[in-house]
Amino acid sequence: MTPAMRILSILFVLGALLWALVPADALAQGAPGFQAGAPPGNTLGATSDAEFWRQVRQGRLGMVSIPDPYAAVLVRSEGDNWRALRNGPISYYGGWLLIVALLSILGFFLWRGRIKIEGGRSGREIPRFTLTERLIHWYVACVFILLAISGMVLLFGKYVLMPVVGKAAFGHIANACLQGHNLFGPMFIFGIVAMFLVYVRDNTLNGVDWNWIKRGGVLAKGHVSSEKNNFGEKVWFWMAVGGGLVLSTTGLAMEFPWIPTIIQVQWANLLHATAAIGLVAVALGHIYIGTLGMEGALEGMTRGTVDENWAMEHHDLWAKQVMDDLNVSDGRRLPPEPAAGGPGGGSKDGAPQGAPAE
Amino acid sequence: MTFLEWTEGPLWYGASAIFVVGAAWRLFGILRLGRRVELSRPRASAASGALAAIVRHALPRGEYVERTWYHVVAGYLFHLGLFALLLFAAPHVAFIHDRLLGVGWTPLPRWAFIVVAELAFAGLILLWVRRICDPVMRQISDRDDHLGTWLTFIAMLTGCLALQETSPVLRGIHMLCVEVWMVYFPFSRLMHAFTWVLSRGFMGANYGRRGVSP
Repeated sequence: MTPAMRILSILFVLGALLWALVPADALAQGAPGFQAGAPPGNTLGATSDAEFWRQVRQGRLGMVSIPDPYAAVLVRSEGDNWRALRNGPISYYGGWLLIVALLSILGFFLWRGRIKIEGGRSGREIPRFTLTERLIHWYVACVFILLAISGMVLLFGKYVLMPVVGKAAFGHIANACLQGHNLFGPMFIFGIVAMFLVYVRDNTLNGVDWNWIKRGGVLAKGHVSSEKNNFGEKVWFWMAVGGGLVLSTTGLAMEFPWIPTIIQVQWANLLHATAAIGLVAVALGHIYIGTLGMEGALEGMTRGTVDENWAMEHHDLWAKQVMDDLNVSDGRRLPPEPAAGGPGGGSKDGAPQGAPAE
Repeated sequence: MTFLEWTEGPLWYGASAIFVVGAAWRLFGILRLGRRVELSRPRASAASGALAAIVRHALPRGEYVERTWYHVVAGYLFHLGLFALLLFAAPHVAFIHDRLLGVGWTPLPRWAFIVVAELAFAGLILLWVRRICDPVMRQISDRDDHLGTWLTFIAMLTGCLALQETSPVLRGIHMLCVEVWMVYFPFSRLMHAFTWVLSRGFMGANYGRRGVSP
């Protein structure tokens, strides 16, 4: 050992002895918050443990040497509250709401069965939705379904999928769904705006709708007079637009989380989940009644035309007006189609080509 | 061998071989048909007619604007978006550099990738929705049209789902979907990616030779 090393060793041993001789409480005073067996904080002063931790839980700012003010918060209670709400009541009751919606649809089907066209098909068709209306509807439907599936996986997957597929596989699925959800979200915003502009004209509420409510709507025994859209359809439209607005704004807040505050993002997430669950629940009913639940309804949104008898039974006021406009009140067929036009080269209103002439 | 190694190894080479050989075989078959011998004296250049048709048919004209704006806009959104993603998405540039050419170029930034992907998806969905809604399009569409659309959609979708680039499984799934798409490509109307130039050029040449501007 060299002389220098020997001197250093002696100094180290002397330093260790001095350290051991210093009283423990003196060390504690020198380094507040690090007493053996006690929680951090100068609890020997006027402030009690309870008060100290209450302040921590209330998000009291401490001091940090970096510019980020959030770094000075030891515990963000809002985050805990958000997580408790999202993984608690929203997931729990939201899940039940969807189950109840499905059971209600099943019950309605068992009660009413497939709603047939009472007078049977007339073999004559009248135009119901233009090509533009159908294109926008199906665009929004496609994007909505992609968002709904990915969103439901993100919200409920931990409880429904993970026990089945395992943690690792669910990690991959959730990762994929998050990317897909973020990607398709902005596409939905354009769709919902276009849908509002195109459909709002036929969805304004009026006295006919009040009569429809008074007579029981879809629960009534017979058919209640209605315009192009009945009250239920109008409510669905406004729910879709209102819900779409909430989903869009809250979705944007989550897509760009550096613009709002973190608490606003948390609220946006809760609102987003709530609105999405509500819309999905009602959309299930919409999909059912538009496909399996009612004979003759789907073709209005696929081909653009509906059977005259269907139109007279479900939307008589509108059907009479359309037939008057077509000058076919005596039960004639569509007038001859003009040359192809409108989006995609079909007819201007998107009605089928080659329908038999009068 | 992991799933990713399998999809980026043997399966990739197999699918690439089928894609290249199949597409070349189809193109060779079309070119081998040749042109009918024209005995009449040409009134104008067939070559310029072909070129004019290729360029002009890329834009709607005159009275057709109102009827065609939808699929022109949606078509450009999808096709330009797809090619931008194919050639300028960062993982694709890295793949081309590492596995295909040995050279790379500046990729799109992430925000631009997302915008382009959204435009491409919107265009593809709008085109497919038109295919099922428009009475004429529905009549002339067959299983190949729908299958080609869906395979393209799934290949794009799985790519975007793997966007975070943290999951080899998601990357492997994307590779698998792309390989299925590549195998299907030469035997379907997806070949229009190569044949559109030939068909427009052929028609333009025929008309151009007669002095007609198609």
